[in-house]
Amino acid sequence: MILPYAARLVCLCFASFFLLHGFLGLAAWMSAPAATRAGECMSPRTAARMLFSLRMLPAILAAAAVAALCVPSYLRLEGNTAGERVGLWCCAAAILGLAICADSLVRAARAMWITASHSFRCKRGAQLVQNSTTGAQIVVMDSESSLVALTGMIRPKIVISRAVFGALSSDELDAAVEHERAHSKSHDNFKRLLLALAPEIFPFSRAFRALERSWARYREWAADDESVGGDSRRSLALASALVRVARMGTAPVPPLASSLHDANDELSARVERLLGAKKRVETVQRRNVMFATAAAAIATGCLALALQPFTLYSVHVLLERFIR
Amino acid sequence: MAIFTKSIFSRSDGASRAALGRLERSVMEVLWTRGESSVREVAKKLGRPLAYTTVMTTLDRLYKKNLLERRKEERAFLYAPRVTRNDWERRRADELFAEFLGGPRPSRDLLVSCFVEAAGQYDEALLDELEGKIRMKRKELERRRGR
Repeated sequence: MILPYAARLVCLCFASFFLLHGFLGLAAWMSAPAATRAGECMSPRTAARMLFSLRMLPAILAAAAVAALCVPSYLRLEGNTAGERVGLWCCAAAILGLAICADSLVRAARAMWITASHSFRCKRGAQLVQNSTTGAQIVVMDSESSLVALTGMIRPKIVISRAVFGALSSDELDAAVEHERAHSKSHDNFKRLLLALAPEIFPFSRAFRALERSWARYREWAADDESVGGDSRRSLALASALVRVARMGTAPVPPLASSLHDANDELSARVERLLGAKKRVETVQRRNVMFATAAAAIATGCLALALQPFTLYSVHVLLERFIR
Repeated sequence: MAIFTKSIFSRSDGASRAALGRLERSVMEVLWTRGESSVREVAKKLGRPLAYTTVMTTLDRLYKKNLLERRKEERAFLYAPRVTRNDWERRRADELFAEFLGGPRPSRDLLVSCFVEAAGQYDEALLDELEGKIRMKRKELERRRGR
């Protein structure tokens, strides 16, 4: 197939993205069970962060490599501005690259649409209440279902159905609200959107489903820990709220919302954890700064290396071979 | 899940007779609600501007799929559903099951996990047990505070 200058660049970008993402994605997929097991030795918050990074890394690294290596090397070193033949394998990889990106975009758009519709339904006839203990604003939805959830990505709102609002004691309600606030502070709904946007290894496959489920489980545990803060009374109140809401059945929750009962099959484990809760002291803030500094230093080093003439030349030679 | 469902229901081979397109489904809904109707009556009830011939072709297709029966009155056909809504839903569910259970292991596991999610119901005995543990823990805490 003969393609002009700009179309060749687009084709190369998608093809390179597909190959790099496939290679890194396969490595992430293979290491997911080990990472999930390793997470058991860490705090839930760290484990959730590790699994989230593992899921996002293939897409981020592949996109960064395409942006920092493929595009500059092509723009600087490709002399032929006229039409040039592109091989079958390169075209096939580009189509697959386009397909995985389109698939993830459609999936994210669908999830956003379902979540927005659900939020709209929740707000219809709802009442805004301020929690006296925590000061959090709660949307009390006019429904007999058993819903306690955090909906929305930019300014998330805690939504509780009237049935649950009436059934929980004030301690239990405070604990449930704090749990949802912990999700809000960690931007979990936004992370759910990023997970939906992250492409799969092949179009229409769901290879990372198990990894995403493990992330959701650790996120629930982390939100539990953050909301109770090692206080036995609050742990008991949250455990009690979990069981009480579970007894009322579970309402369907949209894909980009966090609910009190996100990981349904883990109820028993969550309650057991809460009953044995101990004060956990974490130095997360300090660790965050160290992690961000190290990541920035590595990224700067990689970028400086990538922009060296020799690197760009080598990449260009590789791309020339690949395109034919 | 949506991807799998779509691929199953969009099949047009003989094994998946219960698979219907969006328009076919809307036409069936009209007939289940209204009962026996002419092409013009169905077209009027569909709630969107569609050509008479489009509705006629759709009804004819449903008739050939054995989902409708028809009789001639004067010069026009009157169509009526041959299967009830319940029967059709059951047939659709049967096909879905057969497709998943005959498929590879990940598909079967996916089906089971979806059911667990959809049911969203907890074992009462488990909830009783957990509640008992919470009660015991609460008493223990109160005892400790009393000392």
